[in-house]
Amino acid sequence: MRSRRFVTGTSSERQPRPRDPRLGAASLLLLGLIIGLVASLYYAWMVEPVTYVAAGPARLSDENQGEYILMVSQSYAVDGDWERAKERLDLLDDPDIVDTVSSQLEQYLRNGEPADNLNSLATIAGKLGARSPVVSLFVPVEVDPTILTPSEVNVSPTLTLLPTATSTSRATRSADAPPSPTNEPSPTPVPVYRLLKQERICRRNTPIPLIEVAVYDAFLDPIQGMEIIVKWDERSDHFFTGYHPGSGEGYGDFTMDPETVYSVELAAGSIRVGGLQIENCGTELGGLAGGWRLTYQNTETQE
Amino acid sequence: MDRRSIRRTVAWLVLGFLIGAGIGLFLGWVAWPLEFSETDPADMDERFQVDYTLMIAAAYSDDMDLSEAGSRLSRLAKDDAGRWVLGMAVDYILNGESEADILKLVILAIDMGQYSPIMDPYLAQIESARPS
Repeated sequence: MRSRRFVTGTSSERQPRPRDPRLGAASLLLLGLIIGLVASLYYAWMVEPVTYVAAGPARLSDENQGEYILMVSQSYAVDGDWERAKERLDLLDDPDIVDTVSSQLEQYLRNGEPADNLNSLATIAGKLGARSPVVSLFVPVEVDPTILTPSEVNVSPTLTLLPTATSTSRATRSADAPPSPTNEPSPTPVPVYRLLKQERICRRNTPIPLIEVAVYDAFLDPIQGMEIIVKWDERSDHFFTGYHPGSGEGYGDFTMDPETVYSVELAAGSIRVGGLQIENCGTELGGLAGGWRLTYQNTETQE
Repeated sequence: MDRRSIRRTVAWLVLGFLIGAGIGLFLGWVAWPLEFSETDPADMDERFQVDYTLMIAAAYSDDMDLSEAGSRLSRLAKDDAGRWVLGMAVDYILNGESEADILKLVILAIDMGQYSPIMDPYLAQIESARPS
């Protein structure tokens, strides 16, 4: 009699399933493909990457691009060729070039870079259309009167912007506005302060028959103790900045008499601004007597 | 595993590897090549280096800061920066480029101790313009 043996496993365990040759081939192909892909990417990116030997300024590092922008501005300051400067800036492929140049200017200000560099950068920033306060302090631009209208002090729409007038050729390049007939160049001393802005000032509720003067250094810090000479008819007087603590260290003012025409200049050297007199503000601004505000900036750094 | 199956295994692996390598090289070199965006002026194409040098010369003609000009030129990693500027000045003269640009290059070349007889007409202008 044949003995019966007990079967403890299933039939599938007893007989190994024949391997599917297609599955094995696919697995091997996939494994080889992954190994080949990883190895070749490593080779293509790390060992033998494509190198661009003909890179343009757009591929320069941030630091080198900053230097490049500065050099473009310096070249523009020398040759005044805006088309060429624009072409050079376009090579950076920077869609926000205005912001880039403005940011660089602000960074240079914080770092205390030389005034010449600030001037040249601000000039191209202005040419590019940047309208930040920093740019407008270096480069006089047409300012929308509403921008200059704080809550109390209003500027009339007849605001007159004057061009810079310094002894350096660089400063004169930055001004595109036509010269005002009220400017009288002062022969001596050599102007080192340029006129950044000339604004009419009005107050809605009070007459303000003042000549207000604000003086800044090359780094836009207010300068205290600047002597300002005021002349009218055959007489003259002077006043100093820094005696109105609430208005800033670089601020000083002078009260005008009616029917009198004044001229103003800095004792340290600036253009003389003439034709200043009390003028009534428009009815929309209260119709009261208004004055003038002159903003000067030193064009030279202290050694 | 018999010899035949070993051969078949290796063949599938090699085939996969070759296909993977082909795809990888295409991706690595063509589709997504490694881009160097933090380059130096020395990596720029020569025409940009020429313009870069011209800007250095322009800035130098204004501030006359030879050490700054030298520092900027060093970023171009030329073996001899003076000869590079001289070569540019000569090329500009021979090609009849803008006289203003030539003068800037000649000033920089001369102040870097370089000289070529072809620069003589410009040297006279420079000498007469410079304060004594």
